[in-house]
Amino acid sequence: ELASHLSREVENGRIARLMMKLMAINERYEFNGEQAWSENGDKYILKLFRDYAFHQVDRDGNPVLDIGHMIRCLNKMDVGIEEKVNLTSRDGQTTFIISYRELKKMLISAFGELQTGKT
Amino acid sequence: MDGDWDELARIPFPPPGVHRLPTPVTTMTFDTAQELLWAGNEYGRVTSFHGSKLQRYTSFKAHTAADGPDAPVRQILVNDKGVIVLGRKDLHMALRRGPPIWHIRHGDMKDLQCMSFTSKGAAEIIAAGQQNTMLVVDLNKGEVVKQVPTEHHYSIMRRARYICAATATGTVNLLDPVTFAVVKTWNAHSALINNMDAQHDFIVTCGYSLRQGQAYVLDPFLNVFDIKKMSSMPPIPFPAGAAFVRMHPRMLTTSIVVSQSGQMHVVDLMNPNTSNVRQANVMTYLNMFEIAPSGEAIALTDPECFIHLWGSQSKVHFVDLPGHIDVAPEEEPHPPMDWSLDTPLSSIGMPYYREVLASAWPENVCDVGAPPVKFDPQFLASLTPTDSYLYGRNSRGLRRNQVEYTRDLEKNANAGLKAPKFLSEKARESSQSATGTSDDKAD
Repeated sequence: ELASHLSREVENGRIARLMMKLMAINERYEFNGEQAWSENGDKYILKLFRDYAFHQVDRDGNPVLDIGHMIRCLNKMDVGIEEKVNLTSRDGQTTFIISYRELKKMLISAFGELQTGKT
Repeated sequence: MDGDWDELARIPFPPPGVHRLPTPVTTMTFDTAQELLWAGNEYGRVTSFHGSKLQRYTSFKAHTAADGPDAPVRQILVNDKGVIVLGRKDLHMALRRGPPIWHIRHGDMKDLQCMSFTSKGAAEIIAAGQQNTMLVVDLNKGEVVKQVPTEHHYSIMRRARYICAATATGTVNLLDPVTFAVVKTWNAHSALINNMDAQHDFIVTCGYSLRQGQAYVLDPFLNVFDIKKMSSMPPIPFPAGAAFVRMHPRMLTTSIVVSQSGQMHVVDLMNPNTSNVRQANVMTYLNMFEIAPSGEAIALTDPECFIHLWGSQSKVHFVDLPGHIDVAPEEEPHPPMDWSLDTPLSSIGMPYYREVLASAWPENVCDVGAPPVKFDPQFLASLTPTDSYLYGRNSRGLRRNQVEYTRDLEKNANAGLKAPKFLSEKARESSQSATGTSDDKAD
């Protein structure tokens, strides 16, 4: 009973930790105006990934709240697989094709910068 | 240009925003490894188009508004790693898929206009412009490695045996690709150079003369310089007015000359009397012309913001052995699941992995048991109440979201009364200075 309960919840902590990293990085006001966070910087892409994973919409532009999609995206980023995603900016002008491996690398380096206070 | 060449595609160049008017292409170049055409706009944006239908592939901003509203893309070069994009005051390198590799802004980048690969193949460039310094940039490191003073301001650069650099006064300087010293100066046109190309032994230019000291008129000829003999050759007549020229990448003595009205001539420089003439259908005039590395496609742009692609319907290709174009796969659909509270998040499996996960947090000590922040009554009084919350200015003298050490406050407040402490609490207090400065490494 206990073991089955444990196995059900064992992934939660990992997902929460990954999401906390992403939340700690995204939209930090202190970084407004810095090149790496502006529209041609690498951290801009982490913002677009957040939109991709959590701000899905349907054909009519209504929010789609698919927890399965969110967890899949997070799992793929957590591992850093070679699969590529198409990330598009809100105005539709910017389109990147990027692998989860590259996204993972960006997340780790951005979080590292927060830790050392060097940005 | 074979007999079956025709216009294969004509696409509107995407406008800078959803509700914005389209703008013309500021620069374009064919990729050397993939079936892509790269184009830049006035707002620092680079967009790639794929194949003979010019389907939009990726798009990114190379230069941002921080450069001022005027941040046009001046030139694009490609190498095996990605695309190099020159702006007035910065240089950007990105993967073909869009993500940035590096971005350089340097104090000596004031008004860059052009760039060229140097003697180090495609691993280094030199950038120049309306400024007295040229900058040599190592593309692998993304660093300025040398500044070269120059008396001349350059608007076009092309790499052949020498770096051929056109000035704003109608002359072309041949720069040594190692030392960047001027080896030879060639007076190509009396007023200014409109377009230039160089390949192996030849430099070809189109330019303007000033007529009656009033109007700039396109010269009705193509000027040719023989690099091997270091002397100019007789100009090749082009009565329609030569506006643009490219050397044919495969036929080493052949060039394609284009007039503003769309007349295209394929001319052999060694035998100028035989030429092949085609007419592009343009509403107004042309403002740019490029040829693909295969010689099997050309692109033209017009002020109505269209890109025209010409080639042979049956065998058009931009490069001989095109590399694979990376696209994102459609996410495979997954079976519908009931995400009620009982469904564990682990129902979505993890991909196979062997490296440290991105979710791994560093080991650091956090104080989780501290009491909540107590607000100063004076501060609370300064706020305006609503039905459900208070609002007002942040007058507490603290930053937004600044961490407060509430344990200390509590201790001071209850200075007279010592509450008994758990051992763990004492231990934590003694190590408190350490918690504030913990700087554990990730992973």
